[in-house]
Amino acid sequence: MGIQFEDVSYAYKGFKVNYDAIGHISFDIKPNDEFIAIVGHTGSGKSTLVQHMNALLLPSKGHVVIFGHVLPPKKSEKINYLRQKVGLVFQFPEYQLFEETILKDIMFGPKNFKSTEQEAMEKAKRAAQKVGIDENLYEQSPFRISGGQMRRVAVAGILAMEPDILVLDEPTRGLDPQGRKDLMAIFQDIHEKEHKTIIMITHDMDLVAQYAKRVMVLDNGTLVYDGPKERLFEHPHFEEFHLDMPTPLKILKHLEKEIGLPYKPHYDYPSLLQYLKEVSHE
Amino acid sequence: MNNITIGQYIPGDSWLHRLDPRIKLFSLVALLVGTFIIPISTELTAIIPMVAIFIGMMILTTSSGIPLKKVINGLRPIVFLLTFTFFIQLFFISGGTLLASFDFHLSVTSILAIILLIIFYHWSKKYIKARILYFLLITFLVFFVQYLLPYINLYSYTLNIYDEGLMRAGFIFVRITNVIIMTSLLTFTTMTTDLNYAIESLLKPLKWIKVPVDVIAMMLSLTLRYIPTLLGETEKIMKAQASRGVDFKESKFKDKVIQIISLLIPVFVISFKRAEDLGNAMEVRGYVIGAKRTKVDEYNIGLSDVLSVIVVLLILGAIIATRVL
Repeated sequence: MGIQFEDVSYAYKGFKVNYDAIGHISFDIKPNDEFIAIVGHTGSGKSTLVQHMNALLLPSKGHVVIFGHVLPPKKSEKINYLRQKVGLVFQFPEYQLFEETILKDIMFGPKNFKSTEQEAMEKAKRAAQKVGIDENLYEQSPFRISGGQMRRVAVAGILAMEPDILVLDEPTRGLDPQGRKDLMAIFQDIHEKEHKTIIMITHDMDLVAQYAKRVMVLDNGTLVYDGPKERLFEHPHFEEFHLDMPTPLKILKHLEKEIGLPYKPHYDYPSLLQYLKEVSHE
Repeated sequence: MNNITIGQYIPGDSWLHRLDPRIKLFSLVALLVGTFIIPISTELTAIIPMVAIFIGMMILTTSSGIPLKKVINGLRPIVFLLTFTFFIQLFFISGGTLLASFDFHLSVTSILAIILLIIFYHWSKKYIKARILYFLLITFLVFFVQYLLPYINLYSYTLNIYDEGLMRAGFIFVRITNVIIMTSLLTFTTMTTDLNYAIESLLKPLKWIKVPVDVIAMMLSLTLRYIPTLLGETEKIMKAQASRGVDFKESKFKDKVIQIISLLIPVFVISFKRAEDLGNAMEVRGYVIGAKRTKVDEYNIGLSDVLSVIVVLLILGAIIATRVL
């Protein structure tokens, strides 16, 4: 189960020619315990790829299987329910807010998926709690709060649907460092406590190094790497992916070159610091 | 929604494409006036110019390299109107000599047949390629059925076709067709930016009576410029709301209302935000309302422009002359 891509291609229809966005992509995503980062240049087809994961786009060629449902669907087959199973948070999701109050806006998703008013309210409150929206904000207008809070409300709107898999399209874009940290902590929490699979598009290699377990690299619409992040950063042809090294690894490489410190991969600052302390004691 | 094109400009390099946009717009207005002041009558002085304009339009279309199919497609939205006016003229004008006479019957059988025909038309039209022809065929059949099935009769009427009615119907048909072809030729061969410039410069005399022509022109060009942007934003919001379970296809009407609100409000918010940003960006770059500005593209009146104006004015003059004399 989960999400399977079988030789998927997608082309945007143009006036006369079609523009290939992604081509011949195959992979498997388990419904639990995965934290996947999708990286690649602007225009490499990342957003197109994730829009296939909840049937917003249907493949031009090949098949996508979402929880056993084969896409493209046969005529008159309903696919809307798949969007509850795979929650997709778009770029700048704060633009999708529209209701009078924050709580009502979060309730919009569950209500669309046939929850009763009461159930939707409970789900919304639970989701709001997860993203750290204070109770006294519930009755406020979503247009009166700060940008960072708007983003959290929008994320809560997806979480309230209680999806099995959460897909995030550049969730931290345009946020300040603290906001980025807080938001990532929320996703990390969901991943660890509820064992949900999280798929995230990002340009920030530090976030990839710190949070992701598996990385997919897209280049010009094709999948050029799919595997654990440890192997990616040690890949002999890493430069060919045109990606940046995460800062902790850069520091370690630099220290190895300058003072001959033995290189050992550490993916976040606390463990890097720990390692440096250990070395300095010796 | 990806392939919505704004304006209908078809790139090309014919002389009609190269003609100065101001001249093109002016010629269009002059020819439109000309077409409409030709009196509806069966006299030769009216029919000859009308047919001449039609032939002229056909020549223009072929010489501009615009596929004739595209031009005819422009007629599609008004096929119903065309058919309707044609039949009104045919039914209500009586004069001249009687050409033919039919007895039509609104009977139980024929009404039933008509209803079946219409249902069949709505079901089958998505499978038919030549829809205009198909529509005309069905319209013809609707009348033919009334002629054919007089059984269990409720009401009868007679359709007398007079030569004058037929002429007038054809005349109006050609007039509307002419108007559509003319306007689509302009939009096919002129870019929206050029068109906008033409409107601005032709409206310039209004400045004398304190109409802010340049502001109107700027508004117009900004509006045109932002249509694709806003469409893109709308598509994004649609997808985002679809991810929250909005389904514009599979849901009931009652839910649709809320769903449309969920689309409208974000698009509204975004467009206001965009407008504010744009206003600031323009101000920062020194845009002052009413100040004198220069243009990137210079337009020069050439020989073909002068000739076109002369020809158009001659046509208009000739039509007015036949009308007055």
